[in-house]
Amino acid sequence: MTTVVRLPPVLLVAVVLHTAVVPHFRVFGVAADMLVLVAVAAGVAGGPERGAAVGFVCGLLADCFLQTPFGLSALVLTLVAWAVGGLQTRIVHAIWWIPMLTMGAGAAAAVVLYAILGAVMGESQLISTRLLVIAAVVGVIDGLLGPLVVRVMRWVFDVDPRGAVVLGPR
Amino acid sequence: MAARSRRRGSPRVTLIFLVLLSLTIITLDFRGDGGGAIERVRGTTADALSPVRRAADTVLTPVGDAFSGVTGYGSLQRQNDQLRKQIAQLQGQQFANQNAQMERDQLLALNGLQDQLGSYRRVTARVVSAPVSNFEQTIELDVGSNRGVGVDMPVVTGAGLVGRVVEVSGSRSVVRLITDPASSVGVRLVTTGEAGIADGEGPHRDLSVSYVSADSAVTVGELLVTSGLAGGSDLYPAGIPVGKVHTATQVEGELDKRIRIVPVADLDHLVFVQVVITR
Repeated sequence: MTTVVRLPPVLLVAVVLHTAVVPHFRVFGVAADMLVLVAVAAGVAGGPERGAAVGFVCGLLADCFLQTPFGLSALVLTLVAWAVGGLQTRIVHAIWWIPMLTMGAGAAAAVVLYAILGAVMGESQLISTRLLVIAAVVGVIDGLLGPLVVRVMRWVFDVDPRGAVVLGPR
Repeated sequence: MAARSRRRGSPRVTLIFLVLLSLTIITLDFRGDGGGAIERVRGTTADALSPVRRAADTVLTPVGDAFSGVTGYGSLQRQNDQLRKQIAQLQGQQFANQNAQMERDQLLALNGLQDQLGSYRRVTARVVSAPVSNFEQTIELDVGSNRGVGVDMPVVTGAGLVGRVVEVSGSRSVVRLITDPASSVGVRLVTTGEAGIADGEGPHRDLSVSYVSADSAVTVGELLVTSGLAGGSDLYPAGIPVGKVHTATQVEGELDKRIRIVPVADLDHLVFVQVVITR
């Protein structure tokens, strides 16, 4: 119940940041992807199932502002948030930078998967040499912002700070 | 044991359900089914957030420009030097152009012809949002179907072509820039009249022009305008300036010249544009 109340405002803030704020701050012409970040942070904070659910919603929100097939981002973020959540819950006694690295790699993987699946669906222009630059920049920025967003998602899911990250399945 | 198996199985069921749901939505979008529901969802969401994005854009544009200035100081300085040089050249060209324009107008009038682009009504619009995606080069305008804007209409500045409208709702529209990798524009060289297709290759990158024969004379700095012929899926009225030749190379054994052009419109600092109402 807590999650149902807390998640919508967090998603609203994420969408506003994603569409109105972050595009103004670009490194090598690439901006951070806030909705990817929220999805992978949900995986880290809440595990694969909750991660996949939040990833799906974040993907649908992202698709509202794109010209690529509607549902493509939803599919990508569902899979990536699931994978990140699954990976994170298997790590016992994680060092502080492991979640950052996981989220950075997850965000970069989301960018690459989006381009590949998009190309399979006929959007061949998504595959170019620039793809690696986009994946690298998004991965680094999202990785750096990750710990902050994980804290927000822990609050959303009302979980113990040590819950998903430090303690693995017993 | 059974309870443990269920615990493990449940998240997978969620994943499979969400993946299937995503694939269903993608299929519906591809087939255009759902009675336009998907387009309505897109339009409503974007419309609802439009005022917030507009306000944020107004506040953050100077901050973003300053940030770009810090991260790209070297290229800005080079660009500044280049622009000063161009201003000096353009001031010289201005008088020659005024004379040529007068002669052109007289010739069109004598032959009872009308300037194709000039015959269309234009709607001035403010750019309210920078590109959201790292893959797409799109901008959002504060005008929509309420001002007669429709899908596929060209968008221009005083300098030249910006792109075309790809999505319209009541009070806003989305424009795909000519630098977008999905954009292709039918162009022709002003001096020889030879036609080709200019394809976008992403932000801050030249457009590549194909189908210009190897034996045609192409000079650096030459202007290309829209040909009025379909280039890929995009169709524009003839005569809109698109870009100037940056490089033109001939590779042995190839039938076409490799031409790269720089857009004449400053696509990085768009504030006001005009939508050409073509119907």
